[in-house]
Amino acid sequence: MDRVLEKLREHASPTPSRWREVAEYRQANLDWLKEAREIAIKILSKMRIDGITRGQLAEMTGINPDCISQVLKGKEKVSAETVEKIENALEINLITQEYSDRLIY
Amino acid sequence: MTFDEIIDKKLWSVRYEGNFDNELYRLLDEWGDVELLYNFFPQHINDLSYFKVSSIDDAIQDTLDDRDELERVFLDSTTNIEELFRPLDNRVVRPNEMEKMKSRPEKRRHPSWLRVYAIRLSDGKYIITGGAIKLTKEMRDREHTRQELVKIDKVRNFLKDNQIFDDDSFVEYLEAI
Repeated sequence: MDRVLEKLREHASPTPSRWREVAEYRQANLDWLKEAREIAIKILSKMRIDGITRGQLAEMTGINPDCISQVLKGKEKVSAETVEKIENALEINLITQEYSDRLIY
Repeated sequence: MTFDEIIDKKLWSVRYEGNFDNELYRLLDEWGDVELLYNFFPQHINDLSYFKVSSIDDAIQDTLDDRDELERVFLDSTTNIEELFRPLDNRVVRPNEMEKMKSRPEKRRHPSWLRVYAIRLSDGKYIITGGAIKLTKEMRDREHTRQELVKIDKVRNFLKDNQIFDDDSFVEYLEAI
């Protein structure tokens, strides 16, 4: 089996994997990550009901489409300004008071 | 195709040509992408009834919860890799070398929902070949899970063609199937 290990190492990827670094970061930041996911689910759900596309949401809010894309993935912290613009455009409540207190203004 | 060592001398993951990181990275990333999940589940809404999940929002939330648990298991240094996988074929009691494997249900909401697929090299040594959200009984029932079977075979052939795995053992495996 040592020979197999050696052979696998001969075929090792040219760059190191970042899986552990990224996974540890996610696990250490699950609190806000869960909030970001919840926000994304609420937005996508409302967009689906109202038949709104990502491009239309960008237009309605004046938010950069790349930023909209990040928000919808639910992987990044969402700023208070972005939350407010989307809440107003979609006429929904996106966040809990507890999370609102922690948002960056 | 190259390999990344995930856990020292025990677990590897395939990095397919053109991908910037390996399959474990990709799976944990995609299963945490709300928009991607929101595109996936409406296409598979009829498969959710088996799991008694009635809404897309619930399916996404369950996926995210199970993803987080799975990530914890892979990060946990006390995880016994051998207990993490079981034979893909439920009829196999004692897996051979080069056996196709699937992740075992851990403390997850849905036992078979998030599946990580691997090839078993020998006791305690595995190579992750991919994974999928599996909502049907058979992998061949849906295209995205059928593709995972293709990937396992592709990796197994690569291991053989590049003499990574012992030829004799591989022949024994082929004769056994």
